[in-house]
Amino acid sequence: MPRTRGFVFAFVVAAILGTAGTAAAYHTRFVADNCNYSAPTPTSYITRDGSAAVALRARYEGYQWAGGCWNDNDRDDSPNDPREDPATGGEGGDCSGFTFKVWRESLDQSNAGFEQWGLLRNVHGPYTAAAFKAGTGAPNVTVSKTALTKMDALASDTHIGLIYAVNPDGTDQIIEAKGEDYGTGIWTRTYRGSSSYSGVRRTGWSS
Amino acid sequence: MQLAYDVNCLEEGVDDAEARCEVAGSLFLRVEGGRDFERLPLRQADAQGIRQLTANVPDSFTAAPSSFEYYAELERVGTGDRLLVPPGGEAAPYRSRVLNNAIDVDLGVADFGAHRRGARVASARWGDGSASVGLEPGKSVGPVGASSFDVDETGTVFLLDQVHRRVLRWARGAQHPARVPVSVDGRLADLAVSDEGSLYVLESVARPGRSGPLVRRFDETGRELDVVEAAERSPSQIRVAPDGPMVLEHPSHQWTPMALDGYPLPPNEQRRRARTGRPLRSGGEAIVLRVGNELRIAVASGDRIVRSWRLTSATPLGEVQLVEAVGARLVVVVRTFTESADEFRVVTLDRRGVARQFAVASADWAETAPLSRFRLVGRSLYQLGSNAAGAFVNRYDLEMR
Repeated sequence: MPRTRGFVFAFVVAAILGTAGTAAAYHTRFVADNCNYSAPTPTSYITRDGSAAVALRARYEGYQWAGGCWNDNDRDDSPNDPREDPATGGEGGDCSGFTFKVWRESLDQSNAGFEQWGLLRNVHGPYTAAAFKAGTGAPNVTVSKTALTKMDALASDTHIGLIYAVNPDGTDQIIEAKGEDYGTGIWTRTYRGSSSYSGVRRTGWSS
Repeated sequence: MQLAYDVNCLEEGVDDAEARCEVAGSLFLRVEGGRDFERLPLRQADAQGIRQLTANVPDSFTAAPSSFEYYAELERVGTGDRLLVPPGGEAAPYRSRVLNNAIDVDLGVADFGAHRRGARVASARWGDGSASVGLEPGKSVGPVGASSFDVDETGTVFLLDQVHRRVLRWARGAQHPARVPVSVDGRLADLAVSDEGSLYVLESVARPGRSGPLVRRFDETGRELDVVEAAERSPSQIRVAPDGPMVLEHPSHQWTPMALDGYPLPPNEQRRRARTGRPLRSGGEAIVLRVGNELRIAVASGDRIVRSWRLTSATPLGEVQLVEAVGARLVVVVRTFTESADEFRVVTLDRRGVARQFAVASADWAETAPLSRFRLVGRSLYQLGSNAAGAFVNRYDLEMR
């Protein structure tokens, strides 16, 4: 016999306010002309909200294989870079470099502390997508895909993206450096259910 | 009931990632059929380091026998920055519905072994030949190819080969495809074919400074008929509804019409006409909500819930790929997964629960548009799959009488 149920539809919605930055001139030698190698700033804590802020500043910027330097002008300043070359010096991170910077990790894999890198600091970090997937490095652990929350990651052997929000149909909004043709942005993805992907978490979040 | 809005507000020119700008907001509610919205202030909250604006919905709304509607207005304090969630605000609010007589369905435990094999109705090897389908180039990313597909009432299969900016078209029973060039941007995109033969392509990347990606309409020869911009940044799928093409927008997760009476709708009109449910060809609309390992599905007609189901599973549920009506039944395709395996469950629901169900392999070697893997035409289910050799479309008979 059917029972009376009181469940309802309601949504948690991610919203973004004000992401505009300053404009920068287009240049094909983006890294050479814009980026630096400054030391990171150690911080005593990080929050998921703060890492989302780091990630959102990279939104609409470019993608560079093995890269890790971008500004905040909401456009790819080195579009149409050759896809097969990690040394074209274009704007943007690749998927693992983006994750490294958003998770504010150290170049020292044994250091689980927090280091804030400037947007224009050109750094990729020591991890590939596959290394993140395996939970390599002191800050990183593998986690069940059903336990993942905002700013945790889904990683395959070739790609990693960060969970920005969960959609009501079971898909996720993933913030990721997707590729030269896509740049960095938020897209709906089905990585979570795919057996190619595993759950990864940066440890040490403050609540 | 509590409503919560994650809010990320960036301080311009401040490098400290933990610096927070001031935000505030209001929630607007009304009982369905009511005239005026009641305003409630949203309060600041913090959930595991994630900033939220929240409000408790008064019992007078949640206890009502009918549904209630709501939207929020969020603002960055001291600036003119404001946004509505959903973006249509009062004109197209969210609606909370009570499912009083949902039919319980237990999907049990997935064994990831007994997969039904479909009939192969179209296939193309990876490559650049005239009958091949392209993989997006790049050493640093996984395989991406054959972005989407659709099938028309005659059984003709349309495969979007975005890399080569074309649609491959197999007439029913044909071994080799015809090629239809289309002027798309070459990135992941979804495809829907209308009854009169128009090809709708929803691209996934917006042009710099624009509100959303483009929806392009082509005729059967590939001639571009019109282009319209989606209202939000990250729409995930396009389907042809009884009144024309509709797009599932994100982050609102609302279905928005892209055209009215054959004419493209500008983004502001799309927002005003958005809705939570997707109109079904058989009438009414389908509403889907997955919460953990529970899937709530309702078919609504106007203000009334006609039928509803609550599906639970001992195996985690992933994305809902398809919900379509066949007569009084509803066909649902949902992914189930563990840490190392996944498959799609095909479930036919009726007034008693599950009329029939089976599983198919995920067959997702290459990435496609996120919700483009299944189509239902008549009583046949079609699946877009891929392996290391190429992309293919399989057909499954749903065995309904």
